[in-house]
Amino acid sequence: MRRNGLRWVLCSLVLLVCLIPVSVRAGGVPGVTDKEVVIGWTTPLSGPAALWGVTALGGKAWADYINDQGGVNGRKIKILLKDDAYNPTRALANLQEMKGKVFAVTGLLGTAVVHACRDFFPENKVPLITAYGNTRMWEKYPKDRLRYIFISYPDYEDEAEFLATYAFQKLGSKKFAIFYQNDDYGKMGLAGVKRAMEKFPGKAQLAASVSYELTERALDTHALKLKESGADTVILYTTMSHGGLILKAMAKFGYRPKVLTSFPLGDPIMYRVAGEVWEGVYPASSAHSGIPGSDPEADRVADILKKYNPKIKGKEYLAVFGAVSMMYTIEGLKRAGRNLTPEAMIHAMESIRNWKPEGIGAPVNFGPNRHHGVNGSRLLQAKGGKHVPITDYILYKPHF
Amino acid sequence: MDLIESYREELKLIRKRGTAFWVGLLLGALILLPWVASEYFVYLLTLIAIYAIGTMGQNLLIGYTGQISFGQAGFLAIGAYTFGHLARAGVPMLLALLAAGVAAGLFGIVVGFPSLRLKGPYLAIVTLGFGIAVYQILANSELLSGGRMGLSVPKFLPEIGIPRATAVYYFHFLLALAFTLATYNLVASYMGRAFVAIRDNDIAAEAIGVNLTRYKLLAFAISSFYTGVQGGLYAQLIGYLEPNMFTFMETITIFVAVIIGGLASVEGSIMGAAFVLLVPQVFSGYKEFIPVVFGITIFIVLIFEPLGLSGRWLKIRLYWKNWPFR
Repeated sequence: MRRNGLRWVLCSLVLLVCLIPVSVRAGGVPGVTDKEVVIGWTTPLSGPAALWGVTALGGKAWADYINDQGGVNGRKIKILLKDDAYNPTRALANLQEMKGKVFAVTGLLGTAVVHACRDFFPENKVPLITAYGNTRMWEKYPKDRLRYIFISYPDYEDEAEFLATYAFQKLGSKKFAIFYQNDDYGKMGLAGVKRAMEKFPGKAQLAASVSYELTERALDTHALKLKESGADTVILYTTMSHGGLILKAMAKFGYRPKVLTSFPLGDPIMYRVAGEVWEGVYPASSAHSGIPGSDPEADRVADILKKYNPKIKGKEYLAVFGAVSMMYTIEGLKRAGRNLTPEAMIHAMESIRNWKPEGIGAPVNFGPNRHHGVNGSRLLQAKGGKHVPITDYILYKPHF
Repeated sequence: MDLIESYREELKLIRKRGTAFWVGLLLGALILLPWVASEYFVYLLTLIAIYAIGTMGQNLLIGYTGQISFGQAGFLAIGAYTFGHLARAGVPMLLALLAAGVAAGLFGIVVGFPSLRLKGPYLAIVTLGFGIAVYQILANSELLSGGRMGLSVPKFLPEIGIPRATAVYYFHFLLALAFTLATYNLVASYMGRAFVAIRDNDIAAEAIGVNLTRYKLLAFAISSFYTGVQGGLYAQLIGYLEPNMFTFMETITIFVAVIIGGLASVEGSIMGAAFVLLVPQVFSGYKEFIPVVFGITIFIVLIFEPLGLSGRWLKIRLYWKNWPFR
C-alpha cells in the first residue's frame, strides 16, 4: 500500500513537471536571427520617474526609422520594451525575462536600478549600451566585467565643480549656495561645489547648503534659508519639479540670484514647469546629447522621432536623449557586421573614435581601456523660451 | 471542515492521506522546478519565497494578533542594512541573516510598547511614524546608509556545481519552507492562541490569564524578525541598498500582500506575496497601465472575496469535497 502511494507520487510528479514552461535554448546567438536583432529596454513607464521613460519611446522611434531605411546589415531592429517603475527588483526580473531573447540592452535608467542589475550583463554575456545613473559605480568595477558595459553619461561631481568654477570665473559670483536633493545625486553635486570652492580659497565661499527630501512640496522655508545666506549664486541639484518650486518660492520672497543647475534640468520643458522665473537661468546639459530648439542636428532627429511617435511632442529633449542611446547601439551593430556575436559587438563598440551620433553632441571615444565614452557638459542659458548654448562642450576626464 | 477528535490531531499539520499527497506533489514540483523552468521563472519564485517570509511575519501581527502596523518598510530597512554592513565586514551569510532578523526584532519590541496603550488607527499612526523615521535616519546618515554611493552588498556565490540561480532558489526555498513550518507551529501553540485571543478581545484574554504585555511585544518582535530576515535576503539578492528602496510604497506592498492573501492564514500569506509580485510582472508588457491593472485586480479580489485568496482557496476545496452535492 505504501509503495503504491509512492509510485503515484512519482508518476504525478513527472506529469506535473511536463506541464511547466520549459526554457527554450535555441542554437546561435540570443536575440539574433537572419532578419532580426532584438534589443531589450527596461525603463520606468509608470511610478515616480515615469516622465523619464520617454527616453525609451525616443529610442524605439529611432529604431523604427532605421528599420524603414532598411535596418542594419540586413536585419531589422526589434525593441523589447518593459516597464520597471524605477524599481530595481522589477528591472532585474525584466532582464531575467529577456535573457536568451535579447542581444543587447540599452538605456537602463536610475542609479539603484543600474547598480542592482549591473552583474547581469557580464554574467550572461549581454552588452549594455548606455545606462543613466551615477557613473562612479563603474570606477572600481573589475575590468573583465566592464568589457560588456558602455556608458556616456556625465559625472555629477565633475559637473558641479565646472558650474561653480564657471560662475566664479565668468559670472563674477563670490558667495554660493546650493540647494540639493538628499540622496546620492544631490550629495555629489554638493561635493563638486565644495571641490570648486577649495580652488579659490578666500575668494569664493559656500554660504549655505540646503537639502530637501523627494517627498517635500512646500519649499518656502528652504527658499528663506537660501535668501538669508545672502548668496549671489544658487546652484540647483534637484528634480525638475523641485527646481521649479524652489525658484517660484525664491521669487515670492524677492530673491533673484544667479541660478545654475545640473543637466537633468536642461530640458526646455522647464519653462512650463517653472514659468517665467526660469528666464535667465543657466542649466547644464550633457555633452553626449543635443538640445532641440537650439541644435539643428537635434531638431532634425526630433522631427523624425515625432513622425514615428506623435506622443513625443513636447518631450523632445528626453526623446532625443534616448534616441542618441539607440544610435550608439546601431553604430555598434553596423560596425560588428553581419556575423553578430557579443564579442563582435564589444570589439565594434571599442573601435568607436571621434564619432558623433547624427552630428549630435561631443565626439564619442571608446576603446579597450575606455568605456566611458563622453564625460562632459555644456552650459546653456534660458532665453526667450529656449535653451541657448553659451559655452562649447567642456569635457572631463573619463572615469573608467 | 474536518472533525477533530483530539488535541494531538489538532496539532497535526497534515491530517489526511490525500492532503499529504498533494502537499508532497507541490513540494516535489517546487524542488524539481529549477531544472526545467526558465531562469526568469526561477527568479520570480525566489522573490516570492523572500516576500512570503515577511508577509507571514506581518500576518502574525496583523492577522493573528490584530495589531495594525504600517512600519514594515522600517523593519525591512533595518534588516537589509544590518545584513549589508555585516556581509561587508565578512560575517558569514547565515549569521548576518540571523543578526538582521534579531536587529529588526529588537526594534519591533521598541515599537511594540505603544501597542500596550494604543489601538487601531492610533497604533497605525505610531508604526507609520516609525517607518518614516527609519527612512529619514538612513537618508541623512552616511555612516548607516553607505553615503552617496549607496551600499554595495557582496553577493553570495556558492560554487557547488549547480547553476547559481538554482542554488539561490534552493536556499530561499528551504528558508521559506522552514519559516512556513515554524509559523504553522507557532500558530498552533499556546503563543498562537494567545495572539488570537488578544485579537478577538484583549480584556477577555487578560482575564483568562494571557499576559498582554508579553504577548503583544512578542507579536511585534516575531513579526519584525520575519521582516528583518526578508530585508536581509532582499539585500543579498539585489546586492545594492539605498534608502529610497524603503519608502512607504514597500510598506503598502507587504500590507496589500497580507490583506489580499487573507488575514490569519499562513498559506494566504504565500499566495498574497505571489500576488503582489506576479501581477505587476505578468502585466509588465502593459507598460504605463500596470498601476491601473494592479489597483483593479486588488479591487476585484476584495469585492468578490473579502477573505482574500485563502478564503477563495478554502471554498474551492470545500466545493470539491462535497462534489457533486452543493
